[in-house]
Amino acid sequence: MAESTKKLKKPDVKIVLLGDMNVGKTSLLHRYTERKFKDTVSTVGGAFFLKQWGPYNISIWDTAGREQFHGLGSMYCRGAAAVILTYDTTSWQSYVELEDRFLSLTDTANADCIFAIVGNKADLTDSHAQASNPEGEGQEEAEPARLSLSSSSLQRKQVNREDAIALYGRVLHYKGLDEKACLPAESMCFETSAKTGYNVDVLFETMFDLVVPSILKKRNEGENSTVDLEAPSTGKRTKAGCCA
Amino acid sequence: MNEMETMDSPVITSLHQGDENEMQSENDLDSITEVEDLVTLPRIERGKERKLLDLPSEDNLNPNHLPVDIQKDDAVVFDASETVNTSEDNAHEDSGEFVVAMLARGTLEEQGVCTKRISSPLSETPLEASSHWDEDVTAESWRQHRKHVFVLSEAGKPIYSRYGSEEALSSTMGVMMALVSFIQSGDNVIRSVYSDEHTVVFMQQGPLVLVSVSSTHQSEQQLRNELLYVYNQIVSMLTQASITRIFEHKKNYDLRRLLAGSEKILDGLLNLVDFDPSFLLSAVHCLPIASSFRDSLSQILQKAITPNLVFSILIAKNQLLTIAQERMVIEDAKLDPADLHLLLNLIGASSAFQAGEIWTPICLPSFNPDCYFYAYISYLDPPECTVCLLLLSTDNEAFYAVAECKRKIEEAMQAQNALTSIAKAQSYSVSQVGVSDLRHFMYKPFDVPDNHHQLTQFTSPEMEAPYDSEEEKMRLLDLYRDVHGRIHNTARPLKLIYHVAARETLLAWVTTKFELYTCFSPLVTKSYAINAITKLLRWVKKEEDRLFIRYPPKYSTTPNASKS
Repeated sequence: MAESTKKLKKPDVKIVLLGDMNVGKTSLLHRYTERKFKDTVSTVGGAFFLKQWGPYNISIWDTAGREQFHGLGSMYCRGAAAVILTYDTTSWQSYVELEDRFLSLTDTANADCIFAIVGNKADLTDSHAQASNPEGEGQEEAEPARLSLSSSSLQRKQVNREDAIALYGRVLHYKGLDEKACLPAESMCFETSAKTGYNVDVLFETMFDLVVPSILKKRNEGENSTVDLEAPSTGKRTKAGCCA
Repeated sequence: MNEMETMDSPVITSLHQGDENEMQSENDLDSITEVEDLVTLPRIERGKERKLLDLPSEDNLNPNHLPVDIQKDDAVVFDASETVNTSEDNAHEDSGEFVVAMLARGTLEEQGVCTKRISSPLSETPLEASSHWDEDVTAESWRQHRKHVFVLSEAGKPIYSRYGSEEALSSTMGVMMALVSFIQSGDNVIRSVYSDEHTVVFMQQGPLVLVSVSSTHQSEQQLRNELLYVYNQIVSMLTQASITRIFEHKKNYDLRRLLAGSEKILDGLLNLVDFDPSFLLSAVHCLPIASSFRDSLSQILQKAITPNLVFSILIAKNQLLTIAQERMVIEDAKLDPADLHLLLNLIGASSAFQAGEIWTPICLPSFNPDCYFYAYISYLDPPECTVCLLLLSTDNEAFYAVAECKRKIEEAMQAQNALTSIAKAQSYSVSQVGVSDLRHFMYKPFDVPDNHHQLTQFTSPEMEAPYDSEEEKMRLLDLYRDVHGRIHNTARPLKLIYHVAARETLLAWVTTKFELYTCFSPLVTKSYAINAITKLLRWVKKEEDRLFIRYPPKYSTTPNASKS
């Protein structure tokens, strides 16, 4: 991570993390990039990270959830290929805020932007999320644990997976996208724990894989909104017909 | 209402704003030697010779020295040493002073008993910063904190408390607001409350009320300054205009909704205020490096510019390396040290982001309290993260352009191997001055060329033994704060203080050209100390190119810059 930012290659594609304050956006990213959980201080503004994913450079914008930084939200989202909407599974309010405050920020994102709905802090509500699985398990692990209330140490889960799936539907509707043509809700709703690492790698790596086609598409179309004087080598600007 | 209990003898001094509220105890008068005219140093001998060399100054730091005649069960007791002096002071308005007995008595009854608190100001580890929000506010330990700071809205809604959660303190803050509005209803302004152990300072800034309750024996002016820093840090995140707008719109708005998560930034600020003399001196501390090296760093910053870039600041180990500024901007208004302190505090608090790049709106309250700059923050040496680049732009869309500036700066620094040189740079030891018995000093010059257009700076060596523990550091800083408070006493400003304490001797000197605070071993003589200062001044003069940013670099990025 450190090395990749040092080179500062031009990012090919942009992913933005959005969500109310204190849902753990920074912690999620930190868990993924640094492989550890850290009690972070509230983010100011937004922070920019560059991730080398195969031959591509993926930039990730971690944003501040606090209201007063809203002004920059649309700048962070401009031209985003994917948006990760994050809520806290123990806070219904954080889920409501996604629709109320954050969804409108994605207006400046790409038209074919990919959405993921992520419920963080799953370790507080689901016992199976408490075990660390840094290797990244398959999707079957993401099955919601219905018996989460049985253990006394667990908090009440306020937002269930069904709610996330319902939100995903509403997001697509808001963006005017056809549900059938988009990725299925089941694979785009995640429950994660930045604290234990549960599902974190799965989340980010799924997203990276999903945005690669959009990089290729962008290169093929040669549609670069900013003039790039320096890097003629980054892609053969084949004006061939676009796929997809 | 817990904090009220701490005031064994509340004396509410309520004055019209603008009136000076000064209290000088007789101890203080004895413990200093004043010289009205500083031109001829030897005249210091003319001053009163102190007989009791050590005791009074020691007492200043010890809350237990207070008069024992205070009756613990009676709320209305004047602290003789302070009140009597106050009323004797003919500069003082009698009408402006009265006692709010009922409030205090009410508190005492509620508490049942009023135990005299035995607290050492140094009993706490000062860097316990982190989560205080879950602290039990009824516990004795909560009351024993050296300095509490509270922020509330005019409607009495809690916004911030340094220790303990705001919810648990809502009734306490209610009492504070009651005091403020009670005095206000008499067309007056509450400024401070003095008790034997605590000083309570009130400050109203627009719709916000800030309160400091401290047992540090600092001057009211110093505490007021610290509150102003807290207010400005809040403004730096929200802007004054938006705070005003929010409260105009809804008087009982819960500002914590906007500040949630920034408590740690305010906690960090208050810790810095306690431990970093920059705040006391309102000056910036530079990392000493060879002037040629500083110039080359400045040139790197000057070359990496983009439209609307206003300030380029390079920081290492929380000290300033160099700062380049947009020409137009400096002509209008200079960057205030206070704003830079707020920025440095913010960077220190954002340590979680050391691998990435931050882009955030930030307001510089002394520069313009109503508008945002956009700050780009990035470390140049991950993962060590000691060298930080801060670029301020007026364009909120300029992230990629400014990030490109960083890339240029990084490249140029790599070419010169600057990071290695910066890593080697460090603060100096007082032994380099070559004056024996000199233990520490703080020197703030006013005669730097082009002074009006640049930052006020100061220089100071590392705190070495015996001031190497947190407690001793704090003790020395408390001594400095004490002499600073007395030398800057607005009612009776002094130019020179020679203060003999139990474990050290302090000499503070303010002229039109500089402000100097020195700390010697306890057994030096006055003439020795004065000689030593002459040597010290000579040394600083010789080293000033290394110790200070002498000629702050400028650049032009915008023919018609708009500051917003």
